[in-house]
Amino acid sequence: MVEENRRSNITIGIAGAGGDGVVVLGSFLQRLAASQGYYSQMPRYYGAQIRGGGSAVKLCLDAESLSMPKDSVDVLACFSWEKYLELERELALRADTLVIYENEPQGGIHLPEKSFRLDFSGRSREVTGATLNKNIVALGVLEKILALSGDRIKGAIETDDELKLLRKKLPALEAGEHLFSELSLPELKLSPAQDASVKMVLHGNAAMAQAAIRVGCGAFFGYPITPAAEIMQEMHKEFSLNEKPYLQSEDEITSAGMVIGASLAGVKSMTSTSGPGLDLMTEMIGLASAAEIPMVIIDVQRCGPSTGIPSKSEQSDLNHAIYGGHGDAPRVVLAPYDVEGCYRLAIESFSISQYFQTPVILLSDQWLGQTFVAINDEFMRKDYPIYERKMPAIKDNEDYLRYQLTEDFISPMSNVGDEGLIYRTTGLTHTEKGTPAFNFETHHRMHEKRWKKLAPLCQRDNLVKVFGGEESDSGIITWGSSAQVVLETVKELGLRDAVKVCVPELIHPLPLEVERFLGSIKKLLVVEMNYSGQLHRYLRSQTDLPEKTEVYARSGGQPFSRHELTGPITEIAR
Amino acid sequence: MMQTADYRTGVKPIWCAGCGNYGLLNAITRRALPNLGIPNHRTFIVSGIGCSSRIPAYIDTYGLNSIHGRAVAIAQGAKLARPELTVIATGGDGDFFSIGAGHLPHAVRRNIDITCIMVNNFVYALTKGQVSPTTPHLRRGEGPFLSQEFYPPVDPLLDMISYSLSTGSSFIAQGIATDVPHLAWLIEEGIKHRGFSFISVLTPCATFSPPELFSIIKKKAVYLREGEPIDLPDLSREGARLHDPGDIGMALRLAQVSLLEEPFLGIFFQGK
Repeated sequence: MVEENRRSNITIGIAGAGGDGVVVLGSFLQRLAASQGYYSQMPRYYGAQIRGGGSAVKLCLDAESLSMPKDSVDVLACFSWEKYLELERELALRADTLVIYENEPQGGIHLPEKSFRLDFSGRSREVTGATLNKNIVALGVLEKILALSGDRIKGAIETDDELKLLRKKLPALEAGEHLFSELSLPELKLSPAQDASVKMVLHGNAAMAQAAIRVGCGAFFGYPITPAAEIMQEMHKEFSLNEKPYLQSEDEITSAGMVIGASLAGVKSMTSTSGPGLDLMTEMIGLASAAEIPMVIIDVQRCGPSTGIPSKSEQSDLNHAIYGGHGDAPRVVLAPYDVEGCYRLAIESFSISQYFQTPVILLSDQWLGQTFVAINDEFMRKDYPIYERKMPAIKDNEDYLRYQLTEDFISPMSNVGDEGLIYRTTGLTHTEKGTPAFNFETHHRMHEKRWKKLAPLCQRDNLVKVFGGEESDSGIITWGSSAQVVLETVKELGLRDAVKVCVPELIHPLPLEVERFLGSIKKLLVVEMNYSGQLHRYLRSQTDLPEKTEVYARSGGQPFSRHELTGPITEIAR
Repeated sequence: MMQTADYRTGVKPIWCAGCGNYGLLNAITRRALPNLGIPNHRTFIVSGIGCSSRIPAYIDTYGLNSIHGRAVAIAQGAKLARPELTVIATGGDGDFFSIGAGHLPHAVRRNIDITCIMVNNFVYALTKGQVSPTTPHLRRGEGPFLSQEFYPPVDPLLDMISYSLSTGSSFIAQGIATDVPHLAWLIEEGIKHRGFSFISVLTPCATFSPPELFSIIKKKAVYLREGEPIDLPDLSREGARLHDPGDIGMALRLAQVSLLEEPFLGIFFQGK
């Protein structure tokens, strides 16, 4: 039973300047709550500056299930109103928001009734001799406001290695707790977590790296780029421990080239990047497609074109992922919409790339990649089917045909170094043997082979998620992180029976399940975060859409709010 | 000992009669690989794009004719993944010094154990005769040798040795396609060298270079032999010096001599 004065779901905003310790504060609070069983998501918002720019997090704690942060915040901790104004839209205040803040606002801010000015820096100086731990003082206040269990907090700090930094900061934490009591601040209590088991905290970038490690990725090559760098860091950490090849290359062309080299040598390999890096990798994607070389590329999308807004989310690389490059170069494009999907689809990417000998582009985005999520770790422990590349059946074969035309168009592939199965390949049009060829028949036949071998993927119904009212003739198609807001908004509006939602995780080639979904509805809404409606255009190019099709597509740079989606969703469900 | 024929495939080269690439193909398949006794399946040859980059199809090892300028990138990936492989990256002067030039300093710096063979024919031949970064001037300030209207960039060998200075570990050599035994020896030494090795191969282009270019090079060629005196044009004041491939300073001096004045053949520098 939920006590009446307790809430099952609270959204906490934290804002300040870079260097105020906003992300550290949010992360500690998230982890302390996770240690008591609370689910949470914590997207990060930051500007271009390394230090001193606006920095904010929005932590949504939930006692029952994983949910999205609300549009506005229930609690706000603010270290700088000036920086808050840069991120005001993400952390909107309501009249009943509880605000704790350090300095008086300059103007332009209308403080809600329950606002309290607290001297975080002063308390930090009193107990630690420096203002540096003001964020920890604020942490002490916040955990009291939320009424997290004090005993369990102490226990978690003692045992959880991710919290060991807090062990040295206990005086600051306690100073915050005292501050809360001294001023008799109001509480905004969380209900006890329904499932008290400790939740794991990770973001999509980490989930993808962990999946790659799990599936036996044996070589990683990358070039630093926002917002994908965490994948590279995670792989670096792991591979330096296990002495596997990890290399920061001179550019993304090289990263992708090295992936191809390692893959030919029989080692599962991967690179990660964002849009500008995907541009540079494009010629290698063409080579991997033409010469049928397994390759996994993670693209954590950010605002484009060109440099765009590097730190903010957008879904605008879809065209490039599907079509990028000259010539007809088929490849597979997958897109997860939540952190579990980041893990599962990264495993799937390796399986597909190995089995079908094709480049796979795994489209994540800044929101998925950098939002810290506290969640049950079951999905990281369960078994997943893993497919490997088909090896030639005969081990010593002078007549080995690397590109043999088989029934399923997949030709057994030996690894460079294998005895008796030597072949030569090329980005030139080539024969079954891999020898360059310059005639139409061979060229056409090899195109057919490369396209047709991917056809079985269209039958992968389990890579299309369909939610909501089966009987409904109103449908929404959305993809990537946008799907989370769409699903949450549909639920909040009580429209789960009135509208069904289709989230294709496999986008190219297009699964038949998407066509079946489209065939079952009369009204369609496509929701995506890019200006031109790339998914909508892609769907139109592939299949018939209902006569009444609406598109809600806008550029990235700001997460979708439930408020803005309410109109289009209500309209389509009507 | 393996049969020499073992290293050639049945594929007929596309090259013109008189092309220097035949010399390189022979050096690799008839001498270097058989002499070293490296099993075919343990060898991986990655090329870029251009006349010389067709070579993997003609050699019976694992091979990839990849993308213009990117052989070095792909070769490093393969070597890192499977260190037991002998990995050779090959291509033309356009591959190594123009479109793929950005990869070279990093390959040198990392000192990954691959052997790069640059077939330098001073011209873009596959596209029918445009200047390359190695197209020589007759004299500084004058037009390029190929009487094209464009101006070529920097002296490539100088760059290679400068790069290697920062690593202290590399192998830089120059051979000539018309002296197959010597070229094969350089390739063997390059493959045996534990670290990044770079071999420039002076090559005639029978179709797009004026015949005088290669005949001057061939006539003036000077072999560098360890411990033997070398004849640098401005050494008269210092007296004779003996070639020492371990001396990076000397390698720099050698590289600064214009190719048309005195083309040196041999190992310029070999670090530890």
